[in-house]
Amino acid sequence: MRKEDEVVARLIAWFDSRLGLSHPLLRPVPEYSVNPFYWLGALTVVAFVIQGVTGVLMMLYYVPSPTQAFPTTQYIFQQVYYGRFLESVHLYTAYAMIMLAFMHMMRGYFVSVHKKPREMMWIVGMVMGFVTLGFGFTGYLLPWTVVSKSATDVGIGMIDALPAQISWLLSFLIVGAGGDATELLRFYDLHVVVLPAVLLVLLTIKMYMLECHGISEPVSGAVSQEKRRLIPIFPDISLYLLELAAVFGSAMLLISVIFPLNLPPQYSPQLAAQFTPQPDWYFLWIYQVLKISIFEGPGLSVALSLVTILFILLFLLPFIDRNEKRRLIDRPIFVTLGVIFVAELIVLAYWGLITPGQIIPFEQAALVIGGTALVIALVSFGTYWVLFSRIKRQTSGPTQAPAKLVTLFSFGALATGGAFAIGNTMNTTVNIIVQGLDWWKALELVSSIIMLAFVIFGSALLIYSIELPNGSLSRRIRFLEKMIHESK
Amino acid sequence: MNQNDLLTTIILIILQLVSTNYLWSLDATNSVSQARFAIFLAIDLLSFAMIAYIYRKIEWREPTYRIWLLLGSFGLVLLLLSSLIFT
Repeated sequence: MRKEDEVVARLIAWFDSRLGLSHPLLRPVPEYSVNPFYWLGALTVVAFVIQGVTGVLMMLYYVPSPTQAFPTTQYIFQQVYYGRFLESVHLYTAYAMIMLAFMHMMRGYFVSVHKKPREMMWIVGMVMGFVTLGFGFTGYLLPWTVVSKSATDVGIGMIDALPAQISWLLSFLIVGAGGDATELLRFYDLHVVVLPAVLLVLLTIKMYMLECHGISEPVSGAVSQEKRRLIPIFPDISLYLLELAAVFGSAMLLISVIFPLNLPPQYSPQLAAQFTPQPDWYFLWIYQVLKISIFEGPGLSVALSLVTILFILLFLLPFIDRNEKRRLIDRPIFVTLGVIFVAELIVLAYWGLITPGQIIPFEQAALVIGGTALVIALVSFGTYWVLFSRIKRQTSGPTQAPAKLVTLFSFGALATGGAFAIGNTMNTTVNIIVQGLDWWKALELVSSIIMLAFVIFGSALLIYSIELPNGSLSRRIRFLEKMIHESK
Repeated sequence: MNQNDLLTTIILIILQLVSTNYLWSLDATNSVSQARFAIFLAIDLLSFAMIAYIYRKIEWREPTYRIWLLLGSFGLVLLLLSSLIFT
């Protein structure tokens, strides 16, 4: 070795021994995880980093005061080098961050990563999801346009409908002593200091837990030894992540070119009076739920309570879905519920987009929301029916008789009756809470509950009647248990 | 490294050099230039992703999937063509 090379090698060795550069910091990952779906969370972090860089550049010019916010944003658009491009990339990467976080969550749901021992990872991830939505909510106000200010005011207006303690805490955090100046300053502080700090802390905690538990196994469980080969994070996986990040970045740039951002007019109370406020797309589903006629006025607190219950259920999912089975075929109910959840979000968001400011009659809402759930439940039932039948045919020969038409009709009738009974029970309950109890409402509630009881009784009878002649359900369950036992 | 991968890498590096050089010549406040800036930055990033992919596959002693390289090349051609729209 030449003398110069020796000096360089010694220098590198000195730094390596002091800084621990070659010490493996993160545990290696199996080869089967070299798949973009395993790295949706990492891509969300990439989006967060892009947000940080573009956000810091905009902070050089932006002034968070009601008189200066819009002019400085306009200045960034018109005068700053690549200013409009910067704003567009910041906005679309924010959208991508929310979408990636949602996809990461739903993938986790469908492949059961929330199950033992990763329950706490799920809960921390859910909090991170809320923080991401918080970024969207607080950042939306900052340009101080008529669109952003009007929509944020509607959101803030809902705080009053919450229970007193929560309402007080939220008002203190985001509105302050009142007035536009305080509101904007607090939103800015939350957006650029508090939320990034909270997200970084949560990310560290989640990374630590990922280090402890490692990457989850594929749901199929059948992975070859070759695919289980461990690959170091540095340089191999880092390089792979760089590839994903580069493709993601170029997609963001392309979207920014195709749909360049235009700045709406500055906020003024006069202009806002002529404008129908509408939130950004990721809050449209809540917006649509709140526009249902029964949730108007005093019903608002009922709607917010329902949304809160939904979020609590999502948080507590690892303790609700405790079955250790992870494969999609073994979880028909949770898979169906997950698909219904995604479909309802899409339907409500799109419906909210095309009906700005319109109050939705309850019957129409029940038809659309219930109809979507019913269609998906029927499709899911049919799919699982076919899958189970195929499994059965593979094991017990050609003894499977075709599904009886009467069974199919009975199932359809029960599902329709069930949807109607649940909808009517909910409607009557909300009416009683909002308008008070009278004899007619009490009768309606009792009749809905009786109908629901009939549907439950009918379902049990139907399952029993299918089971009775050939014991197919118990055979299927036994077959699945055998399959899982063998795969273990 | 096979000859096709070598040739692809050389073309991508040349493309990166040309597009990076072009980025510095743009007028930074003009909206048309800003669109071109975004397109050529996207070309840079996509080329980088393809080069990193080829390098990773060589390091892992695995063949490169032609479909990914074709898709990437198609994306690059599309980006180059779209840059002509912004004149």
